[in-house]
Amino acid sequence: MSLKRPSTLFYHVLLFIIAQVIWFSLLGLWIYWYVTNYLLLMKVEDKLAPQMISGTINIAALVSGIVLLVLLSLSMSLIFIYLNRQLNVTRLYDNFIANVTHELKSPLSSIQLYLETMQKRKVPSEKKQEFLSLMLKDIERLNHLINSILYLSSLEQRKLTRKVSHDYHIFDTDTIIREVIQESLQEFNFPEKNVSLGGNASCQCVIDRSWLKIVFNNLIDNAIKYSAQFPQIKIQLNPGKRYFYIDFTDNGIGISQKDQKKIFNKFQRINSPESPNVKGTGLGLFWVREIVEYHGGKISVSSPGKNLGSTFKIALPIYQESKKRYMNRLLRLTRKYQALSERDHDQ
Amino acid sequence: MTNKERILLVEDEDSLAIGLEFNLSAEGYSVTWVNDGKKALQQIHSAHFDLVILDLMLPYVSGFEVAGQIRTKDLQLPILILTARTTLKDRLKGFEVGADDYLTKPFHLEELLLRVKGMLKRKKWYRQSVQNMPSFQLGDKKINFEALTIQSMNQKLQLTAFEAILLKYLIDNRGKVVSRKELLEKVWNISSEIETRTVDNFIVRLRKYLEPDPDNPVYIKSVRGIGYLLNEK
Repeated sequence: MSLKRPSTLFYHVLLFIIAQVIWFSLLGLWIYWYVTNYLLLMKVEDKLAPQMISGTINIAALVSGIVLLVLLSLSMSLIFIYLNRQLNVTRLYDNFIANVTHELKSPLSSIQLYLETMQKRKVPSEKKQEFLSLMLKDIERLNHLINSILYLSSLEQRKLTRKVSHDYHIFDTDTIIREVIQESLQEFNFPEKNVSLGGNASCQCVIDRSWLKIVFNNLIDNAIKYSAQFPQIKIQLNPGKRYFYIDFTDNGIGISQKDQKKIFNKFQRINSPESPNVKGTGLGLFWVREIVEYHGGKISVSSPGKNLGSTFKIALPIYQESKKRYMNRLLRLTRKYQALSERDHDQ
Repeated sequence: MTNKERILLVEDEDSLAIGLEFNLSAEGYSVTWVNDGKKALQQIHSAHFDLVILDLMLPYVSGFEVAGQIRTKDLQLPILILTARTTLKDRLKGFEVGADDYLTKPFHLEELLLRVKGMLKRKKWYRQSVQNMPSFQLGDKKINFEALTIQSMNQKLQLTAFEAILLKYLIDNRGKVVSRKELLEKVWNISSEIETRTVDNFIVRLRKYLEPDPDNPVYIKSVRGIGYLLNEK
């Protein structure tokens, strides 16, 4: 497949160029034909009855014809651009399917292995306990993966339909951020000595707690995955005037300048031989960005270099200071959704 | 030094590796487990193993590369690829870089153990068989079963471990008709009736190496409907 990809792109570009050349040569021919005819007409104009010729209408036809052709060619370029973008997504999607298959099969085969082992052999009881907890861990992994694929579809419905759950509330920023980070760290059994959480953000914000947790889960998961040793994480909260900032820094393998642009893309995975981990779906950071943007915020990444770690900078709007209308809309939708689900509950 | 057979397990999924280690040890093998390609190569260079169980998607150095590196150092070390990648392309690539067997996840424990056993048995048989007959002269070509080479007047060909085992088996049974099924069972350790094309493909390769005219073979002859017959003449 890797061999095929550049050639298909090459053929697309070639086809596009040929099509454009045909357009423009047709246009040229047409203009040539028109002008020669026109000149001929001009020459014989005197001899013909003047009422037979009306030059103004012909010029209008010429101009509108050219405009139409240019529009056609422009729309063709647009179609070409979208087609290419779509092809790229399809390629990444194939990649995604391969990754998800791998991610599904690994825990599955491990569970199968333990079950068959226990069927085949007499396993000492403490070993059995170990196997059971490993199996539960694998089931947790499967559950996590399935959930994340489900999140994807709910995130895709960006047009705020009533069907998508909304759970936005006004929080004290400092408290909620610290709470959620602590929860995430606990989920990963992240030792406290490896984390430093500094700064403060004394302001209010509008946040969906469970989605914010997905953001930190993914950032922590990535920090662990992309570090050769167990990482040190530094999280710094900074209040700004209209936005507050969360700087999330790890001391992992870092992200090259070229890859920094790509990592938030859907299904994108960076395959580098330096990477200590090869697992993943290419969705984590895509969600992180989508969620942050859905909160009205922005996310960016920087890395001082190879093996020097990376910093994710998240900016979220302060309630009543910026994006007022958007925040109120989120809150309104939450109320609406709650009313809706309460009604469903009553029925 | 015990006489336990040593297996190098290269697997980056912790939970799978722990289970495999438990089972292989229970079967009486001595297991060394590493979780990335770099460590696998270090082990290969520093210690002796009888068999390698290799995952493909590995950190730092991919399984394909590990297999390739093993082959540059040791032509006969059996490699079993154990992976979630099921496409034909991956399979073919696996065999191309020198794997002896390919098993996809999820797998049955019993099947894995059987294959490991079969591979080790085959290797042992080959080694003993080579001790009795380290080389063989077929026409003007000399086959060296230790270096896995075919030496003729003006050139030297390198055999893969599989080709060598197949050839050895045919030579050991020279003058007798060997059925495809028997070859599959004894050489490939597969008891299936469907993959007979595999045997034919390998025979075609051996003929290319050995026959003066591969289209009209004189040494390795087909016996219609049954199998193959190797004659020294």
